[in-house]
Amino acid sequence: MVLDTFLITGLFNVVMLIGLALLLHLQLGLTRIANFGVVGFWGVGLYTFGVLYVRVDWPFEDPIQFVVCAVLATAAAGLCGLLIGWLIADLDVDGVLVGTLGFATAVAILATTEQGLTGGARGMGGLRFPYDSGDVAVNELIWLLVLVALVAGILAYVWLVHRAPYGRLLIAIGSNEPLARSLGKPVTRTKLGLFTITSALMGLLGVMYGVMVRFLEVSSLGIEVTLATVVGLVVGGSVRVLGAVVGVLLTVGFFDIVIQSYLPLPAEWYTQTIPLMREVLFGVALILVLVFRPLGLLGHMRRDRLMKRIHGG
Amino acid sequence: MSETANVLEVSGLRTGYDGIAVLDGVDFTVGEEVFAILGANGAGKTTLLATLARLNPLMAGTVTFRGTDTSGLRAHQSAGLGVGYVPQERGVFPDLTVMDNLRVGGMFGNRSLQERVEEVFTFFPDLKRKLNLRAGTLSGGESRMVACGRALMQETTLLLLDEPTAGLSPLYVSTFFEAIRRIRFERQVAIVVAEQNATQALGVADRVMVLSLGRASAAMAASELTTERLKHAYQI
Repeated sequence: MVLDTFLITGLFNVVMLIGLALLLHLQLGLTRIANFGVVGFWGVGLYTFGVLYVRVDWPFEDPIQFVVCAVLATAAAGLCGLLIGWLIADLDVDGVLVGTLGFATAVAILATTEQGLTGGARGMGGLRFPYDSGDVAVNELIWLLVLVALVAGILAYVWLVHRAPYGRLLIAIGSNEPLARSLGKPVTRTKLGLFTITSALMGLLGVMYGVMVRFLEVSSLGIEVTLATVVGLVVGGSVRVLGAVVGVLLTVGFFDIVIQSYLPLPAEWYTQTIPLMREVLFGVALILVLVFRPLGLLGHMRRDRLMKRIHGG
Repeated sequence: MSETANVLEVSGLRTGYDGIAVLDGVDFTVGEEVFAILGANGAGKTTLLATLARLNPLMAGTVTFRGTDTSGLRAHQSAGLGVGYVPQERGVFPDLTVMDNLRVGGMFGNRSLQERVEEVFTFFPDLKRKLNLRAGTLSGGESRMVACGRALMQETTLLLLDEPTAGLSPLYVSTFFEAIRRIRFERQVAIVVAEQNATQALGVADRVMVLSLGRASAAMAASELTTERLKHAYQI
């Protein structure tokens, strides 16, 4: 049985945001890099892929065309991560926040103004799945499963990072950067490496999204993606691996799937009221969590328990 | 003491913050010994130690560690040479367990991590029972022990201790200074300790230097430091 297209799209967004929140967990939750430009890196992947896939006359067909464009788009997002990471490396939290937000804004402006490449405000079509089952709903379902596999891979990576010396180093840098430096840790290089890899993966998630929607709109480069990612992560608990998963499920999942799919809301609400209501509810959820449970619903990292499980004692 | 025996040589050091010098014209050498830096609150002890660890900028002068000029190095490069730094405050990573804090220090050196951890326990046996606790839950004294233990995990040959006993109970103070004395002899580590607690510091120090009003006195044997000189430095 093939799922309803609306539900597939909703699930796709939830899974994609879980992936973004997991990557932000590594940046913000562990290393305290306050990246508020998630949508910028995601958008670089999305638009680079779209432009390469649609505008370039490749000498080969799908799926090789998709793979080549996806790899290049991911690399472009990673390169942006390297550049932005280098620029913000020595800034305090406020500076990082403004710098990354500025980058995301620049990406949105570039996508809007470069009409020849991106179609500007009119958007750009021509994207398609790198396979064809003959049924759009089946294609979408398969793509959703591919995304689930990708995000499961990201989850496994994050889980491993928590148990590895690398994770220890990220937490150390996030807790006290000068102290980590004084212990001989290559702080800047570690932060740059992390930011590059996570930004590249954010770009890859943008690629996945582009194929799913098959039409690029500059409106998708607004603050909503970043906001949903940050809210999900903070609500769930930014220092816990599962915080990203639980937080996104309880916010985006609950609103986009449960409320929109199963509540009998008036049809006219879907154009303006629901998107606004979504932002308001996310804001309220964020405030309530910050006031009553500042470390998120899953609370503190409880690394002591984790280490006890791993090493005994 | 011959020149080659010097672990640390500081010459014409000027350092401070935002272009404003806190200390100027500081010269001293440290051999295989415990070297105490005394001074009142605000005398520049923390600034000096952070500069020696290459966390603060060097505005003038040179710092040479075991024959290598570290003046142009960054903190992590200096640490790689064997300079261990234990800050006065925020000396542990609060979200990491005690064991993880020790492991973070174990990046350099040839000996196994386990061997080094066991060695830390010989100096600070209390840590053995707290290994899986988050460092953020420890008392002030226990945190200092973790920070000092972590510096030892680095296979440090020069240990910079910034007011290691500030705010601690008398019991912890004597325990800590006893550990410093043992580290000095059993690990053969040169130790520079900045302290306000002159009595305790002089009890373990071989030589001493006093900071006052942005200048440093000439280094002297701990036994040569007179009460008058100390009173003057502390502006009593």
